[in-house]
Amino acid sequence: MKEKQTYLTFVLGNEIFAADIRKATNIIEVLPITKVPRSPEYMKGVINVRGIVLPVIDTRMKFGMSPIKITKNTVIINFNIDIEGEQSDVGALVDAPGTVIDISDKDISPPPHIGAKYKSELVIGTFKIKDDFIMLLDINKVFTLDELLEIKI
Amino acid sequence: MENFIKKFIEEATDLINALEESVLSLEDRPEDKELINEVFRIMHSLKGSGAMFGFDKISDFTHNMENIYDEVRNSEKQITKKLLDITLHSVDHLRNLLNVNIAESKEVVQKHEELNRKIEEFLKSGRTEKQKTDTRINQQTTITSGEQFASYYIFFEPNSDIFDNGANPLYTVDDLYELGECKVFARTEKIPHLGKYDYSTCYIYWEIILQTSLDIYEIEDVFMFVEDDCKLKIQKISDTKIINNKNIIDALSKETKIDISKLKSFVTDIVVDNIVDEEKKVSDKIKKFKQESEITSIRIATEKIDQYINLVSELVSAHASLKLFSTKINNSELNEIAENIGNITEEIRDNAFNISLIPIENTIVRFRRLVRDLSAGFGKNIEFVTEGTDTRIDKTLLQIITEPLMHIIRNCVDHGIEKENERIALGKPPKGKIFLRAYHSGSNVHIEVSDDGKGIDINKVTKKAVERGLINFNVVLSKEDVKNMIFTPGFSTTDKVSDISGRGVGMDILKRKIAEARGDIDIDFEKNKGTKITLKIPITLAMIDGLLVKIGESLYIVQLMAISKITDIFYSELKKTKKNVAVIDGEQIPFYFMREEFEISGEYPEENKFLAIKYKNKNVGLVFDSVVGEYQTVLKSIGKLYKDHEMIAGATILGDGTVALVLDTNKLITKFSDKGQQRIRN
Repeated sequence: MKEKQTYLTFVLGNEIFAADIRKATNIIEVLPITKVPRSPEYMKGVINVRGIVLPVIDTRMKFGMSPIKITKNTVIINFNIDIEGEQSDVGALVDAPGTVIDISDKDISPPPHIGAKYKSELVIGTFKIKDDFIMLLDINKVFTLDELLEIKI
Repeated sequence: MENFIKKFIEEATDLINALEESVLSLEDRPEDKELINEVFRIMHSLKGSGAMFGFDKISDFTHNMENIYDEVRNSEKQITKKLLDITLHSVDHLRNLLNVNIAESKEVVQKHEELNRKIEEFLKSGRTEKQKTDTRINQQTTITSGEQFASYYIFFEPNSDIFDNGANPLYTVDDLYELGECKVFARTEKIPHLGKYDYSTCYIYWEIILQTSLDIYEIEDVFMFVEDDCKLKIQKISDTKIINNKNIIDALSKETKIDISKLKSFVTDIVVDNIVDEEKKVSDKIKKFKQESEITSIRIATEKIDQYINLVSELVSAHASLKLFSTKINNSELNEIAENIGNITEEIRDNAFNISLIPIENTIVRFRRLVRDLSAGFGKNIEFVTEGTDTRIDKTLLQIITEPLMHIIRNCVDHGIEKENERIALGKPPKGKIFLRAYHSGSNVHIEVSDDGKGIDINKVTKKAVERGLINFNVVLSKEDVKNMIFTPGFSTTDKVSDISGRGVGMDILKRKIAEARGDIDIDFEKNKGTKITLKIPITLAMIDGLLVKIGESLYIVQLMAISKITDIFYSELKKTKKNVAVIDGEQIPFYFMREEFEISGEYPEENKFLAIKYKNKNVGLVFDSVVGEYQTVLKSIGKLYKDHEMIAGATILGDGTVALVLDTNKLITKFSDKGQQRIRN
């Protein structure tokens, strides 16, 4: 029995999210992004991460928030996701990186059923650390669904 | 175990391919002993390893084939067309047996029985009255008095790691019993104390006395699979039966690793010369075998190569940043180091790409087979000649072009080359010829397929084009027009549909397929002289010969091969044109403003670059701000998230570490023109 799982948290606007740390391979500073013409606005373009071309996504826009403003806190989290059965890398622009935390499965509550339609699909559960309310995301689904998502609490 | 099976399938596939090639060569040189031996050897290997990995049908099947070729080897049977036909069918069948998905299907099972029957019939037929006692068929060797017997001493010590290969040396020893009478002495003194015993280590070796009527090569064949993994000594000690010689058996019971001369001393009737002779033969053979088995190539998983290529391209861009930095610092020592690293990097890069290429030879065998089978089907007499088959190309590309090449060759046989009587009437040699030639040209590989058949009749094409309503009846087509016409969708000049080429794949589809490999296809012909089709394919998809172009601050790469010309042009002039059609060197070329299409903000510069791009046999213009220069670079995927983004072929990393997109001009123009049409409809 796995008692505790490790998660990586990150910040979008006023919210804190968490993702399975095994999906996150790297945290990268923001590099010059090459825009890909005729692609949706939330797909910011591609960057070069040590010789590999990584697509970068504005996670705020993907979640229906206003476009990201690059500050000194902004980072790109490199997630390894599964697209149609193939492992693929995607860079998620987030307002700030959080911390690495261990959470017991028993401390995770099921997602609340109020609010947006995508919620139950994308949010695996929620938990509280001190006063912070953290949403645990299914990162694979977040980046493989084409539509813009709405997560509201 | 799964890994072993995967490896077996890979190896068996190679063996079957080699088999097919040897059999096809046997057709031209039926007397070639080397080839016959090769076929025998492959059958034998397949039989052995097939049985080892549970492919019983393969081992059953090759067992009989092996017997046939054994008889051929011993000049008891001759290579006939019938035999080669059966063998080639067997090659196909073996491929099916290897494919676990269909090996048990009804058709394959039926085929299995049918072929086995044919092979058995063949084995029985034409056997000489001498009635060879085949030890492999009759488990028990019947020893007839008339035969010559000899006795051998065999020392067999498997390497301690032999189990790692899945081999069981006991089976090998067992096989010896099939050759004649044996006395086997298992030597167990190396087995350690139980506490130190390792189950994966082989501690045992054997000393064996074998008396047999077969020659020393047959004994060596038994050890074929373990030859590399053991110490092996086979020596003739007598030309008579000595298995009941008490002195020898006693000596072996008492002593291990016995001196061979001692054994010989027990036998009085040895013919000394003979022994020296046999030993020499064996050592020659071992020498030869060593040469053959010296590992000249290794198998590497393609992912590993991809990883390597990735690292190398990382190195290339790391060097580019170093170079930028050293130029900035302008320290002569640093410059020198940067340059030195640059030279090495370039060499590593070329080397890395070379590794990922394979010779086109690998697919040529299939074509040889195709020509053989098809020409028989059409009752034509055709020879297939190749040149430059060692030309190397990326594996993926080779896969992409194999099918188009197949169709081209099919066309040569079906439509190109005439029947024998027609050829004679035209004063041509009765035997038709298809010539495949491959060679490097810059960063491309050219593959030409030419035949000496009827070529293409311009009048016939014209007639057809009028019928199809493609042109007016009074239009006279030039050769160039016809060449273009041939690549028009739905155009085919064949009068009737043959069941082999079927409707045939139109040349337009071939062209599209070749474009997938970022290549080009060309045709040339002369009536009654023949047709020549040339494929121009990049050596690798990973490298691209491009032109670096600029819009505002954004850099893009256009494949050099797609560009037919580059012209300076004033924005004001372009703006004046009607319906975005410019006249360049007297040619009307529709064009697109890239800045507009890519929605890049900012002003157009007064002087623009007009790139005329080859698109569906016409030119289409793309207008960029400026051209930076030629750029040979590594093409990288931009990831699955952009999978619907067809107009971007990939990306590349520039010297300063930023990413530039590589445009797929073909798809890009298709997309632009679709949108244009929609606009008109709306």
